[in-house]
Amino acid sequence: MSYVDTAAATELSPRARRRRLLRKRFLRRPLAVLGLLVALAFVTMAIFAPALAPYDPTELDVTAILEGPTREHLLGTDELGRDILSRIVYGARASILAGVLATLLAMAIAVPIGVTAGYFRGWLDPIVARVTDVVLAFPFLILAVGLAAILGPSLLNATIALGVGAAPGLIRVARGEALSLREEDYVRAAIANGAGDTSIIGRHVLPNMTNTLIVQATVTIPAAIIGEAVLSFLGLGVQPPTPSWGVMLSAAQPYVNDAPRLALVPGLAIFFCSLSFNLLGDGLRDVLDPRTTR
Amino acid sequence: MPLLQVDDLSVRFDTDDGPVHAVDRLSFTLDESEVLGVVGESGCGKSVSLMALTQLLPDTAKIGGSARIGDLDLLSASSSRVRKIRGRTIAYVFQEPMTSLNPSLRIGRQIEEVLQRHLDLSRRAARSRAVELLELVRIPAPQRRVGEYPHQLSGGMRQRVMIAIALACDPKILVADEPTTALDVTIQAGILDLMRDIRARLGTAIVLITHNLGVVADIADRVLVMYAGRKVEEAPVHDLFAAPQHPYTIGLLGAVPRPGSASTAGRLQEIPGRVPSLRELPQACVFADRCPRADDLTRSEQPLLREVRPGHLVACFHPGGAWSS
Amino acid sequence: MVFVTEPVLEVVDLVKHFHVGSQFTGGGGVVHAVDGVSFAIAPGEMLGLVGESGSGKTTVGNCIMRLLEPTAGTIRLNGRDVTHISRRAMRPLRRELHMVFQDPYSSLNPRLTCGQIVAEPLRVQKLARDKRLDERVRELFDDVGLRDELRHRYPHELSGGQRQRVGLARALSVSPSLLIADEPVSALDVSVQASILNLLRDLQSNLKFSCLFITHDLATVEYLCDRVAVMYLGEIVELAATEELFARPQHPYSQALLSAAVVADPEVQRTRRRIVLEGDIPSPLAPPSGCRFRTRCPLERESAPRSTDEEPPLLDVGGGHLVACHLVHAGREAPVLADAPAELA
Repeated sequence: MSYVDTAAATELSPRARRRRLLRKRFLRRPLAVLGLLVALAFVTMAIFAPALAPYDPTELDVTAILEGPTREHLLGTDELGRDILSRIVYGARASILAGVLATLLAMAIAVPIGVTAGYFRGWLDPIVARVTDVVLAFPFLILAVGLAAILGPSLLNATIALGVGAAPGLIRVARGEALSLREEDYVRAAIANGAGDTSIIGRHVLPNMTNTLIVQATVTIPAAIIGEAVLSFLGLGVQPPTPSWGVMLSAAQPYVNDAPRLALVPGLAIFFCSLSFNLLGDGLRDVLDPRTTR
Repeated sequence: MPLLQVDDLSVRFDTDDGPVHAVDRLSFTLDESEVLGVVGESGCGKSVSLMALTQLLPDTAKIGGSARIGDLDLLSASSSRVRKIRGRTIAYVFQEPMTSLNPSLRIGRQIEEVLQRHLDLSRRAARSRAVELLELVRIPAPQRRVGEYPHQLSGGMRQRVMIAIALACDPKILVADEPTTALDVTIQAGILDLMRDIRARLGTAIVLITHNLGVVADIADRVLVMYAGRKVEEAPVHDLFAAPQHPYTIGLLGAVPRPGSASTAGRLQEIPGRVPSLRELPQACVFADRCPRADDLTRSEQPLLREVRPGHLVACFHPGGAWSS
Repeated sequence: MVFVTEPVLEVVDLVKHFHVGSQFTGGGGVVHAVDGVSFAIAPGEMLGLVGESGSGKTTVGNCIMRLLEPTAGTIRLNGRDVTHISRRAMRPLRRELHMVFQDPYSSLNPRLTCGQIVAEPLRVQKLARDKRLDERVRELFDDVGLRDELRHRYPHELSGGQRQRVGLARALSVSPSLLIADEPVSALDVSVQASILNLLRDLQSNLKFSCLFITHDLATVEYLCDRVAVMYLGEIVELAATEELFARPQHPYSQALLSAAVVADPEVQRTRRRIVLEGDIPSPLAPPSGCRFRTRCPLERESAPRSTDEEPPLLDVGGGHLVACHLVHAGREAPVLADAPAELA
């Protein structure tokens, strides 16, 4: 255990000191830092798309179809003469939006259910556990596709489908955390104080779950990003002419031999975007683990 | 000629936050059939030093000094050589019998594995030796137990099985690291009795690592007291308890309530302060900032081990007496 | 035992059984954690509850704290029956009792500062607010010997001993009439244990709260407690004043337990007359019939066959010394199997 030198440590508040320690730890992990930077780049791309994209992504130019990379069109044009680079930049919106919102939705569903089941146990818990187990037997994408098909094609519906599809896995995590945290002595001490359950959950259980939840979020986002691409690819998500990497992939199918670029570019975008969140999540998990020594 | 001779053993862990000096120039000897007690609290380096002998430490550990068994220096020997020694000449028993045994293998199998690997016995011979060993450690109905899984045994039984595995190849040295700490008091008594028996019957030398002075009083011949990686006192057991020399030892002895006189005794002895960080090797007495006798000398120079009574070594400039004198 | 004033705690025939295994598949068993325990604690008294694994001592503590609901029996706190009262009804009574836990690492919420942790009971019970709350927390830190600035630190920045002090401060913040200490020093280094034990002794003599001190360590109990109860497999086998127990232990298990406790003195430790029990502690899932200790008792032959069929009642053998053994009753000398600790000094 480290020996704390009180004299040197009084300039910063404990919160600030911890933040600094976590920052240092994070910076020691090049892959995580890379993940963070690339993820940030994509998020920036999504937010500032109008400023970054050279062209309107839906603007057709039938005189310039399937052109290779030129100075006017850095990544070339697609089968309808639209600038690929602009479509990629705008496409980030759909991916990031779907990725983040779907994850938030999944959390909003999963945490209350999971924590209630895990903390209170009783009759609710076995039901939640068994139902979650059954639903988890379905692969996430199959679930999402099924839900999206029911809801009807649109980016919003796709996001909802992804969120609901990701929820069961998160329920399991939240329930597991609540189950183990309720056994901690400090929870028993809180009961001994006379605290009510809501207060205990809010003050003792949830705050000690945040690390796990953050990590789960950063792992769910890339799955949702890929999910959005899949749904759009299948026509269940974003509708043309709105750009989305999945839609671009789908449209690129007939041209795979002649202009592989049309498939390659969105494919790589999906790959790097989700990978960056994955690396970021891995790094965060490591850094936030209390047992990590560096 | 001692069985094991350790000279200036040092262990330094190179972590990202800097070096940690877990053990600083530790020297000791172990004779045949001797029980050596190594006493200290958490972080004093007692476990690390014994694990260093057979290369059981992770790669981040930098080990210095020498540890001779016969002609062989364990610390500079090749890992294949050391692997032959480990389990065969020097065997270990650890604290947690729950996790030291493989839960998916039967007890008999786990003992046989050791026998087959080190002694190259046939399956049949190994099986009968395994039963013998279970008898040796006084497990009732050994023929039946041999086919059982660890979870079917109690904590005390599992510890006996660990001891049986350790004794499988008739090692010269048994290193027991807090072997009874995780066990109930009445079970502990049985294990200590067993270790005494083993020493008497097999002549095995035992290094008993513990923080419990009572355990040491029970079976040790000689005691070594460690603090913050250094040896601060060493003496035959009766001498150590009758006339402790180092203030830390005196403090420890005073900190433990004694059954039979606890209610009439005065306050328990408190040792103020905390164990120092092992990140530095101070050129001073390592106990100085907690010691009532500290003065300029002890804060500027490291006391070396001196023999103050026959066979009784202490590293202190002001040894002897009671806590504050 | 006759009390002049009302006892702070009265436990009568407390029983707690746990069902394990699946009730659906019929593989269930019953853990007889506590099987009929009775005792009382007077105001200002410290009672030690001693036992090994499976003795049920921790479960007794948890039942009294109402962290568990007893299966049967009665628990009276300051005269009030709390055995089955609701969580809500229990809430105001939480000012009267509190607990110190064994593990200094899991007993404090890592997300709260130590000051917040100590203030919590006062906040929840609405006993103090704002400035008064702050003052009270500072007082408590001072009482337990912690530097004032540690109020702003997080638990992981403190040592094990310091954390236990925080736990003590938290428990004493509401000025309870009963403190339950469940192995409060077992997880600490020896030198640190001494300071916490001294602290507890001092606090108890100053603040005069009653205390149920649960532990496996007999020497500690002798140092702190006025009376001691020895538990085995869910039952009390002996209960006596501390000095009396350490001088004249009567139950064979008490004698074995005392005998097994190593003394830090080689002269004494190696020459004392001892008994070493054979065999393992039976599982609370299937406690032996009749006298639960009979499977390990050196005197089993003498007490058989009665010990197989009948449970020995807890009887007063003189002066409030209670023993549950077929071979021990008033007017008959208890068998002496080993040197009692008081004779060793």
